[in-house]
Amino acid sequence: MHQVRGVIAIVLSVACVWATTVDAAELAAPDLAIEQAIDQYIQARLTERQVQPAPIADDCTLVRRTTLDLQGRIPTIAEAQTYVQSNEPDKRLKLVERLLASADFAYQFRNQLDTLLMGGQKGNHNEFREYLLKSVRQNRHWDQMFRDMLIGNEDDPEVKAATTFVRVRARELDELTNETSTVFFGVNVSCAKCHDHPLVDDWKQDHYFGLASFFQRTYVTKKNNLAEKFSGEVKFKTTKGVDKVAKMMFLTGTTVDEPVVEVSADERKKQDEDVKKQMQDDKAGPAPKPPFSPREKLVEVALQPGNDQFFARAIVNRVWAMYLGRGLVHPLDQMHSGNPASHPELLDWLSRDLIQHQFDLQRLVRGIVLSQAYARTSEWSESTEPPAPDLFAVALVRPLSPRQYSMSLRLASSNPEAYKPEVGGEEWQKRRDELERNSEGFANQFELPGENFQVGVDEALLFSNNAQFVDDYARDSQDRLVGAIKQQTDRTTQITTAYWAALTRAPSTDEIAACNQYLEKRTEPVAGLRQMVWALLTSPELRFNH
Amino acid sequence: MSRQNFCGSAEHGVSRRTFFGTTMFAGATAFAANMRVMDALKNPCLASELKRQQKSVILLWLGGGASQFETWDPKPGRPTGGPFRAISTDTPSVQISELLPKMAQRLKTTAIIRSLNTRNADHGGGTRLMECGRAVEQAVDYPDLGALIARELGRADSQVPDYVSMYSETEGRHKGGPGFLGARYAPTFLTESMIPPNIRRPESIPEVDHQERADLQKLLAKRFAEKRYNASVASHGMAYERVRGIMASETLFDINQEPQSARDFYGPTQFQEQCLIARRLVEAGVPFVKVARAWWDSHGQNFETHLELCADLDQGMSALLDDLKQRGLLDSTLVITLAEFGRTPGINASLGRDHFASAWSCTLSGCGIKGGSVYGKTDPDGHKVEDGEMKAGDLFATIFAALGVDYKKEYHLGARPIPIVDFGCKPVPEILA
Amino acid sequence: MTSSDPTKFKVTKTARLKGIALCIANLPGTERVFFGSSDFKVYELDLAAEKPQPVEFTGEGHQSYVTGAALAGPQLVTGGYDGRLIWWDLEKREPVRTVPAHEKWIRNVVASPDGKVIASVADDMLCKMWDAGTGNLLHTLVEHKPMTPHHFPSMLFAVAFSADGQLVATGDKVGHVAVWEVATGKKISELEAPVMYTWDPKQRRHSIGGIRSLAFSADGKLLAAGGIGTIGNIDHLDGPSRIEIFDWAARQRTQEISDTKFKGLVEQIAFPREGTWFVCSGGDNGGFVSFYDWQTGKVVHQDKVPMHVHKFVLNDTQDTLYAAGHDQIAVVEFKAVPVPAEPVAPAS
Repeated sequence: MHQVRGVIAIVLSVACVWATTVDAAELAAPDLAIEQAIDQYIQARLTERQVQPAPIADDCTLVRRTTLDLQGRIPTIAEAQTYVQSNEPDKRLKLVERLLASADFAYQFRNQLDTLLMGGQKGNHNEFREYLLKSVRQNRHWDQMFRDMLIGNEDDPEVKAATTFVRVRARELDELTNETSTVFFGVNVSCAKCHDHPLVDDWKQDHYFGLASFFQRTYVTKKNNLAEKFSGEVKFKTTKGVDKVAKMMFLTGTTVDEPVVEVSADERKKQDEDVKKQMQDDKAGPAPKPPFSPREKLVEVALQPGNDQFFARAIVNRVWAMYLGRGLVHPLDQMHSGNPASHPELLDWLSRDLIQHQFDLQRLVRGIVLSQAYARTSEWSESTEPPAPDLFAVALVRPLSPRQYSMSLRLASSNPEAYKPEVGGEEWQKRRDELERNSEGFANQFELPGENFQVGVDEALLFSNNAQFVDDYARDSQDRLVGAIKQQTDRTTQITTAYWAALTRAPSTDEIAACNQYLEKRTEPVAGLRQMVWALLTSPELRFNH
Repeated sequence: MSRQNFCGSAEHGVSRRTFFGTTMFAGATAFAANMRVMDALKNPCLASELKRQQKSVILLWLGGGASQFETWDPKPGRPTGGPFRAISTDTPSVQISELLPKMAQRLKTTAIIRSLNTRNADHGGGTRLMECGRAVEQAVDYPDLGALIARELGRADSQVPDYVSMYSETEGRHKGGPGFLGARYAPTFLTESMIPPNIRRPESIPEVDHQERADLQKLLAKRFAEKRYNASVASHGMAYERVRGIMASETLFDINQEPQSARDFYGPTQFQEQCLIARRLVEAGVPFVKVARAWWDSHGQNFETHLELCADLDQGMSALLDDLKQRGLLDSTLVITLAEFGRTPGINASLGRDHFASAWSCTLSGCGIKGGSVYGKTDPDGHKVEDGEMKAGDLFATIFAALGVDYKKEYHLGARPIPIVDFGCKPVPEILA
Repeated sequence: MTSSDPTKFKVTKTARLKGIALCIANLPGTERVFFGSSDFKVYELDLAAEKPQPVEFTGEGHQSYVTGAALAGPQLVTGGYDGRLIWWDLEKREPVRTVPAHEKWIRNVVASPDGKVIASVADDMLCKMWDAGTGNLLHTLVEHKPMTPHHFPSMLFAVAFSADGQLVATGDKVGHVAVWEVATGKKISELEAPVMYTWDPKQRRHSIGGIRSLAFSADGKLLAAGGIGTIGNIDHLDGPSRIEIFDWAARQRTQEISDTKFKGLVEQIAFPREGTWFVCSGGDNGGFVSFYDWQTGKVVHQDKVPMHVHKFVLNDTQDTLYAAGHDQIAVVEFKAVPVPAEPVAPAS
């Protein structure tokens, strides 16, 4: 017997975990509803700053915004009008509940998670997307998904797909280290690779290489399976030029010691050969599984009480940003002591709540979209300068994701009778699946919006002059919006229908007049309608979630 | 004030207020909410001065990595020198490879840099490095030179594209891009066709309708943008506003508009024709044009490769410089020849040269450049830089200085300041006019 | 019967050099070779020595790479990228005549089998025929276009005499071949091998190919041209070694050999006085020697050699070749093992 099971020493560092900035006792009660906690903390800051927030958005805006956020598409005319016409006092709660329970939600939240996890990655990862879809449908909790993605199980085809996160990054240790840290812990440690972070005291080279040590042994076999080597450590040169072997170290300073294992030289050689074979031979058997898995340890350490602050806060911040347009900590990958949250107590409260509810993200989503902060109008009508965005006093306008945009264009340009989500059940799910797939090609022409997103002139040229686009969306066949409104006899009705379809609202008197005037001048009435619909489809009002 | 106000400095806070106060609310140019305008407002004198001068850059990108030995830094008779001779030029004491006889007569327009040491000899990494002027890190999506120039020298309401990139060849084709500066500064990227995509009005809509449809769209969009103080929304309006202008610039890309004599002057190859297109674009106010000529990656048959490609470069580049000069544009146009790296002193078994980033050359001609100058020196066999070592960032600083752009300027990405050139990099005054 | 047997292929000796050997000639009946180098110099090397040491030729020599070498009687004629032809006294190892022969790079220099005529080809796209004894210009053969159809400078790499000395063939970068009558300097045939140009308007707007080698069959009826086939989307010599054989009088191609086992340029081809095989050599980063049956195009034998071979020369018994290449000269023997009772079977 060559192997001696050692003790895994987990040393809790004395370095302070800056993450918790507010004493738990000072936080608002844990049994508060999420939306109440949000509004309490957001309002407190507004009061302190003496800022009067923008009013709650009108029904049309809210149903559009919430449907885009929870279903990934604009609402149909019927969906929107049902909401607007309802007099029920709790209609917004009911809307959110309905949307969360719908088939569409799984697709949309999957797409959001996909962007979060694989946003910068090129190439297809359909199996991973399937894994995410199933996870959302089962409401698999975030900590479990983290385990799936980081550790996985190559024998279980479903969970195997989850490790795509690691697999596609495994060839570049830096990329794997930094992106895992960025995505799951909200911490971009890349600066600390070359030097202790210049601006932030929190991150030292030991942290960067300590984190990299958890991934050092990870490799991809010739058969494209994820595996780990039996040994291997990260060596680096400190800024002072000293050669150092990194210790596996989490961001909190917690280190992990590998159990001391005695392995004979022959055995070591065989292990190395096995690994080499795995890397080179596509007919090799299952990859050998070393008794010690650094990635497994990372997950274990990251989810330990106390350490799990990073994991919880990072996802709270990211989910918040999905719906509010920016993080409580901004930028999202700069969660460190030099860059405090706009609302530290709220971030702490939400993180504590998430941990207490076993990382149930859907519960968090529900709370956020039910808050007042989420529901404000994005218009600023005061004569004063708009309040700073980190006060969340006025809703931030957010560009649609390429998929949202593509699906919404499809819906907006279709005959209003063409899509009927209200039929529900399998019938709608099938239809929605179709919509998702049919929108992909067009979506691929657009870049994922990042910070400082701008619409380029290429997009405007595409929409203005690409015959395919015009022919497809503004076609006057029966299945299209133009085809539907050209049957209508009254011009105001035509304009109104087009507005509801494209922009989820009725046109103003001015707008009716402007459109009327335009149509009036056309010698060819159907061409006029097509052009008017074009002007609505290319509106910024459709391009953004507002 | 809030830390998130641009970079957090009081100065920016003020300009931000000024910006919304004057421009936005007055509704003068409703879609000017981009950083450039903010900078301009911060320092209006400088900004308008730059615009008036209408400076431009033409980057001749030698994709794959041209050899410094067979171009700007010959080592005739040395074991590493290869078979070609060095020839005298119009500038006493400066010699270049015999493969560039026409450029040898035009060095008075040009500064040669012989001392680039950029360390990255991998195509992808080297390209990103020389495109962005700094090592790319994962945390920040850096803009490339074209986007930086488009932002610094382009006009917000420009009727022409402000960054055109022609890359017809398959080797090393790379779009580059605006990174954190945003899609406003993305290149018009031409590969298969020299006419930008979607620049032509579709036949299905008459000219009048196309125009009036755009007017209607603008009118309807205005209501939405009015009370939403958001740069992304503004960029949408700005993009659509530019459509008609860009469409009108279609003819710029059409060399059939040039008399045969002009076409003969440049020559018949694709690269030479693209040099002519570049001149047409610059003349019309496009601030940055990249013409990529690839296939310099001469791992095999380095000498035959350079015999062929240097002839192409020599003719295209000298015609371009002559033409710019004749039109009075050379003083305001900076022509750069650059690649991702140079090539090894050692000659391999395929009579090729491999990737080499330790001691290589590039040139700057025209605007702001002291012609006939040579900066930096390599050792007799070209293995290393002996004098005047320059990094990618130093080259970028020199380019900005030549154009009159403040190389010390910083952008702000959220709260993070990003200097326009990499930390610690400086221009080389010796080659500046 | 011939004393050679390609299947008995063996690299028997190599001599390391400081530079790159670009051309080579062999004094018949000896193991003395003369080679031109990338250090602009010409050397003699006695391969019979246990440790052959190059001996440098002296005097006013070339000013660039020395790329062609041919023996004409007691004299060695070399050509270089400096455009000069130099006649050397073999024993004194000094120049006896220098002729400014071409405006551009000389790519190859060959001598007629009787040693009376020298032919040189260069990137001025001319083939010039010289009186080996006097250095007088006999003919200038004008045929090859200076620019490629894609407006780039063309190159004239290859020239070869027929065994009877009556014919000379020239081949250029775009794959154009001309056959000439030596006596009159008249063109008597033209052939095309366009694949060797390696230009592709989409995938490869650049050419590193061309006809690099030519050789007539012993009876003068066939003409083989060597180069490289279609190259992938990278800039190594990563294409099949390629040979096309023509019945030049009928202007018909009889064989097309595209060999992916050994990639790179075919830099030299030689036909023996008798036998059904011919030999060629060249390479990419490495080098090869391949023997093919010229009737079937099939491989008789092929193997790698220690370096990319720029030129080789067959010895007069035609069972050994001396190869000039990257950083070394190699001796490759393929001598039949004498079996007294039975004739040597031709290899298949």
